[in-house]
Amino acid sequence: MITPTRTARTDEPASALLGTLAAQGASGALSTEAGIVYLAAGHVVHVESALTPDIGDLLTHSGALAPDGWWEAIDQAGRRCRVGRQLVDSGHLAVGALELCHLGALFDAAYFVLAHDGPALRFRPGAAHWLGAVRAVPVDTVLRESRRRRELLHRIWPEPAIDLAPLARVPDADPADLPHRRSRTLAQVDGVRTAAQIATVLACRTFHTLVELRRLAAAGLVVPKVPAPAPGSAPAPAPAPAHVSAEPGPAPRPTAPDEPDTALLRRLLHALEAL
Amino acid sequence: MPGIDESLLQAMRLPGARGAAVVDWISGLALGAVGDAPGGDLEAAAAETAELARLATESGVLAPAGDDAGGASGKEPPVQDLIITNSDSYHLLRFVTTTFDSTVFLHLWLDRGEGNLALARIRLAEMADRLVLG
Repeated sequence: MITPTRTARTDEPASALLGTLAAQGASGALSTEAGIVYLAAGHVVHVESALTPDIGDLLTHSGALAPDGWWEAIDQAGRRCRVGRQLVDSGHLAVGALELCHLGALFDAAYFVLAHDGPALRFRPGAAHWLGAVRAVPVDTVLRESRRRRELLHRIWPEPAIDLAPLARVPDADPADLPHRRSRTLAQVDGVRTAAQIATVLACRTFHTLVELRRLAAAGLVVPKVPAPAPGSAPAPAPAPAHVSAEPGPAPRPTAPDEPDTALLRRLLHALEAL
Repeated sequence: MPGIDESLLQAMRLPGARGAAVVDWISGLALGAVGDAPGGDLEAAAAETAELARLATESGVLAPAGDDAGGASGKEPPVQDLIITNSDSYHLLRFVTTTFDSTVFLHLWLDRGEGNLALARIRLAEMADRLVLG
C-alpha cells in the first residue's frame, strides 16, 4: 500500500470529483459516506460499500471458493495489492470467474456510492486496493450505469424505502409460482432484515437483491416495515444473522466465524479511513 | 485461461460473427463486448436482450419438466440458450453457470449467410464453461 497523502475535504458531489480525477488520470481512493471508489490511471478499478457484499463475501459465502483459499491469497498477496492475481495463479479461480465476480461487486457497490451522489469526503492519492488490477472501467461507464440502475428500480416499483428499511412479508399474500431467485429472496424477508442483510445471507449482490425485492413489493408480497410505534411494545430487532462471516480485507483472520454485523464494521472502517 | 475479452474474441472467430457480448440479465449491463452491436447501440442491445433472457429464465413454462430443475446445486439456469433468427442474422444467447452470484449470458450475433448456428451453439457453450472454469 502506498502511504496516503492528506487532501482537503470537499463538498463537491462524488460524481463531479470523479469526472475531474478521471480527466487527470488520477490514481487513489475517493471516500464518500457510502463507500470508497478506487482509481488507477483515471479508471475505476474497484468500489466498496458497506451496503454490498464484497468480492470475498461473494466468493466464499457462495461456496465458489473455500475460505482457506481466500485467506491464503490475502496472506500472500494482500500487502502487495495483488490478491486477484494470486487467486488465479494459485489455481483457486479462473480468470473469467474472477473478472465476472469483480465487475459484479464493483458495479453493485458503485450503485450505492454514486446513485444518490453524496458529497465526496476525501481523496487519498496513490492509495491502492488490496485486490489489485482485475478489470478497469471508465468513470463515465460507472456513473452512467449507477444512474441507469436507479431508474431501473424506479420503473419496477417506485418506493425507495424498500432499499434501506427492514422488510416484512404481507400477511396472507399468496406467493405461488415465483421464479427461483425471487422465492429464495422472499424466504429471507423476516420483518427484521434489510435488503443489504438479505443480500449478505444469500451471498448475492445487493442491487440484484433489490430488483427481486422491488418486484416482490410490486406484487404486493413485501412492504418496508414502519418504525416501531412505542418503546416497550415490541422486542428490539435482532442483530444481523450469524451467517455473516469473515471480514474480507487483508485484516487479520477472524477468530470467531460469526461476526455480529459486517456492514457496521465496514462502515466504521470507511469512516476511519475518511478521517 | 481466457478472461472476458479473450472469450469474446474467440467467439468472434466463428464464421459469420458480427458481434459478441457478456451481459448481466438482471441489471442489463454489458460487462464486455467486441465487434458490432445489434442496432448500433451496445447499451440498448444489452438492456433489451437482458430483459428477454430474464423472462426466459424466470419462466416456469420453459424450464425442464423433471424435478431437477436448477440442477443438483440449484445454480444451473433453468434455460441453457435462447436462439432468435431473422432474415439476415442469428442471435444466440448462452447462459453462463457460476457457483457465485453472477446472472450473465454470452450473446453472439451471427450473419445468417455465413454463420453455422449448430456449430456456434456448441462452441458458445464450451466458451461459457471455459470462461468460468478456465
